[in-house]
Amino acid sequence: MIAMDESNISFFKDGCRLDGRKADQLRPLKIEVGVLARADGSCYIEMGGNKVIAAVYGPREVHPRHLQEVTRAIVRYRYNMASFSVEERKRPGPDRRSYELSKVSREALEPVILTSYFPRSVIDVFVEVLQADAGTRTAGINAASVALADAGIPMKSLISSCAAGKVADTIVLDPMKEEDNFGQADLPVAMTPNGDITLLQMDGGLSPAELHEAVEMAMNGCRQIYELQRKSLVDKYSQLESLSQVPEQEAEACD
Amino acid sequence: MEGSFVLPGDEVGSAEEFVPGECTYARGGVIYASTAGHVRINSKVRSAYVEPKTNAPPRLCRGDIVVGEVIDLKDSLVVLSLAFKKGYEGRPLSDEEATIHISNVKNSYVKDLRHMFSLRDIVKAKIVDERQMRLSTSEEDLGVIKAYCNRCMASLQKRDGRLVCPSCGSSENRKLSSDYGTGVI
Repeated sequence: MIAMDESNISFFKDGCRLDGRKADQLRPLKIEVGVLARADGSCYIEMGGNKVIAAVYGPREVHPRHLQEVTRAIVRYRYNMASFSVEERKRPGPDRRSYELSKVSREALEPVILTSYFPRSVIDVFVEVLQADAGTRTAGINAASVALADAGIPMKSLISSCAAGKVADTIVLDPMKEEDNFGQADLPVAMTPNGDITLLQMDGGLSPAELHEAVEMAMNGCRQIYELQRKSLVDKYSQLESLSQVPEQEAEACD
Repeated sequence: MEGSFVLPGDEVGSAEEFVPGECTYARGGVIYASTAGHVRINSKVRSAYVEPKTNAPPRLCRGDIVVGEVIDLKDSLVVLSLAFKKGYEGRPLSDEEATIHISNVKNSYVKDLRHMFSLRDIVKAKIVDERQMRLSTSEEDLGVIKAYCNRCMASLQKRDGRLVCPSCGSSENRKLSSDYGTGVI
């Protein structure tokens, strides 16, 4: 456990961060698609110490009925932390933080979902944090985006999400727990592969120049994550191709 | 391009060359995929579409078998609220209504629709027109697969080709499916 006195913490050792990363390096990422049999689409993601599972249901009937929209599907997003996901037991159930994260994450994904195809329906996204290590909202958004693609929900593109932070006056990519807790700023970003930003939050303080640098760094992280999201989906479905033994030209065509 | 695997947001073709087909959308003269799958070209109508490889929500086409509940009876029309498509029982349809015209109920003459269907019946039918969502129950395995007594709401049982209520004893007429009461779709 790190000492609680903030002034004693050194975030860098021999030019590297406490876990051996460089300032602009992501934590190791692992994505698995279609891990839940009962959900229409699902994804399990590990981003460093974060372990998050996402499930997508729908489009399906809206209950309660008064929430339905006549011209489009509504999107519901539930972010939930398991009571065992953090060091001290988290009291189960929704709280102020999870309401906010659900709202901003929903708004990060909604712009790319083609909701007008499914009037009077709902697309439900459930994100469960099994183990938290800073940056759970970004891990949740990455998992939810892949799960939506797995469920075959029509989308304009995938969404990738990554945070940047400031520790010891240095901008770092994808802060881990120690950097998040004792750092000077945290800046989660979600974006489409084209570079359209759908989520931008800031905790702490950054100067305009630092903000610019942090956003650029987080966007670069998003691009790297997008490649991994892509790979996980291509791997899963090209594997299905070879199982069903379709003509060769289709199986080899994965780009 | 044809046959390649695309993800949402990947380019499928140019709007100058193709019409955007299913599972695609067009923005600024370019056609993009909206679902993960393989690119296909329909050279007849020159459309580019994506054949989904993921567990995509079912699309209703002509010839599909669907199951729904009778929500309204008119003089020459039955209105159904569709529940799911055969083979896609795990992905229920939402907000899909369809109609069966009196001429598509069975092969012989139907004098009164009320002798063929009743409110709340569960019906298996085939799509004959996906645009106007018109259905037909003229085949033997199509028709009512579950019905309730109009007097006491008990579920009716099939005896010698007729429906009989086990609790009040009244008998009723329906356009029955050969699968009535078996639970087989």
